[in-house]
Amino acid sequence: MSLSADRLARAYRNGFLPGSRRTVFRDLSLTIRPGETFGLMGNSGAGKSTLGRVIAGLEPPTAGRVCFHGRDTALMNRSEYRAFRRSVQVMFQDPSAAFNPKKTIGTSYMEVLDLIGTPRPAQKAVIAGILESVGLSGELLGRYPHQISGGQSQRLALGRILLLDPEYIVLDEPTSALDVSVQAQILHLLKELQSERGIGYLFISHDEAVVRFMASRVGRIEDGRLVIEGEA
Amino acid sequence: MNPVLEIDALSVTFCGKQAVHAVDRVSFSLGGGEILALVGETGCGKSVIAHAVMGLLPGEAQVSGRIVFKGRDLLALSERERSAMRGKDCAIVFQDPSRALNPVHRIGRQIAEPVLIHGAGSREEAHRRAAALLERMGLSPPGNYLPLYPCQSSGGMNQRFLIAASTILDPSLVIADEPTKGLDPGRVREVEDELVRLTGGGRTALLLITHDLAVARRIADRIAVMYAGEIVELAENDAFFDRPSHPYSRGLLQSLPEHGFVPIPGSSPSPVSPPPGCRFQARCRDGKAVCGGQHPDLVSAADGRMVRCWQCR
Repeated sequence: MSLSADRLARAYRNGFLPGSRRTVFRDLSLTIRPGETFGLMGNSGAGKSTLGRVIAGLEPPTAGRVCFHGRDTALMNRSEYRAFRRSVQVMFQDPSAAFNPKKTIGTSYMEVLDLIGTPRPAQKAVIAGILESVGLSGELLGRYPHQISGGQSQRLALGRILLLDPEYIVLDEPTSALDVSVQAQILHLLKELQSERGIGYLFISHDEAVVRFMASRVGRIEDGRLVIEGEA
Repeated sequence: MNPVLEIDALSVTFCGKQAVHAVDRVSFSLGGGEILALVGETGCGKSVIAHAVMGLLPGEAQVSGRIVFKGRDLLALSERERSAMRGKDCAIVFQDPSRALNPVHRIGRQIAEPVLIHGAGSREEAHRRAAALLERMGLSPPGNYLPLYPCQSSGGMNQRFLIAASTILDPSLVIADEPTKGLDPGRVREVEDELVRLTGGGRTALLLITHDLAVARRIADRIAVMYAGEIVELAENDAFFDRPSHPYSRGLLQSLPEHGFVPIPGSSPSPVSPPPGCRFQARCRDGKAVCGGQHPDLVSAADGRMVRCWQCR
């Protein structure tokens, strides 16, 4: 039941010249198992976020395969692919950009539940349960994104992801925009949720101390290659 | 020696629908060659102090207290007098160089710009000073850097260019607002070295605003911790990091990686209606009855540090 990348490569077109391409990474393989955290490090521009996006299905790979439950995601039929996209979620760095500024948090939450077909009367209880697990009060649901702090919106973003009951979350610099004290709170919350729900994390950060605190296995992207520690 | 900057009971209130008390009776002074780090969480008022000193607060901000810069009370000056000072005697380095630099002008022109604005020299003279400054910063030959556009160099390099542009007129006071935010570790060190070099002559004072305690520890002489608009502890660097006194300072240090990311429970109080007693009381492990009732003052402790806490006396 793992999520894996098999000899993955991603290249972008470089400017308007035909044939000129910039390879972000190539021949990259890694496996994340349920309940496990894989820590991904690398300098700015090394391709960490691109890898996260490709694994979550937000961008297609140029070569190689992303496999979910052992199946190549490129060969999945419509309903399998939907299940894959729902089970693998991404949390981004900038908490203030995570929510639609024109909608209250409650509306944003309900939209997600509408999408997955939770009946309206049942939604309130589901949302209350999720808010409790991310440590927030229901009072926040009536607010707009600019009325909440960075730590709260990162908790809310996490809560919205949990509504979908994902198996894997790609955490792309989830605490880089936060203060040290709030960062510590979020890291502990992530660990707690992982042990309760058995979610697998791909934890992306340029902060080595944070990655080492969170992850059981650690890799670093250098010059387009993934070097996994302890594996030659 | 007279301090370069002396702030006395500075309060800033934003008057919108509700009055937001962003900064509440903050006092400190800063001497030439000294680096004072102002640390604390987002929203604690650090940047508001920086903007108050620079005179960059929006119109709805009510400022009281005194900001004495080289013997003159800045709050009593006209906008014209302040703008003559801004960028010349006192300068600010903003966070996020990709937004603070103009993307369509070359680096050389942007570094030289303050010289032209303050009429301190001709175009050639300005260009020559910009080149000399880059040379002093170890970016040589400057001819390689001056013609670049901001998009052609890294975030760390741009931050150093921004420091150059802010300091080309050799100001007595530099305020650096989160100068290392979002940079890779190697780049952070370069920016730190630049800031230390600035104050090396013993004339320029640096007010470093940061939430990165590791940066503060490496370069600051003194640390001022802010919480909910107030300074809660002000101490020498070593004393602060070896023996933090205020419970909030201790909590902050505990949440660092080297202490295992132990979080402080709860969150900061609302700046609209701060609690009457100690503002940290609701999150404090040592809180007692007196803490909730009466507001503690910032008082000197035995070793010369200042602490705002009933239990630390």
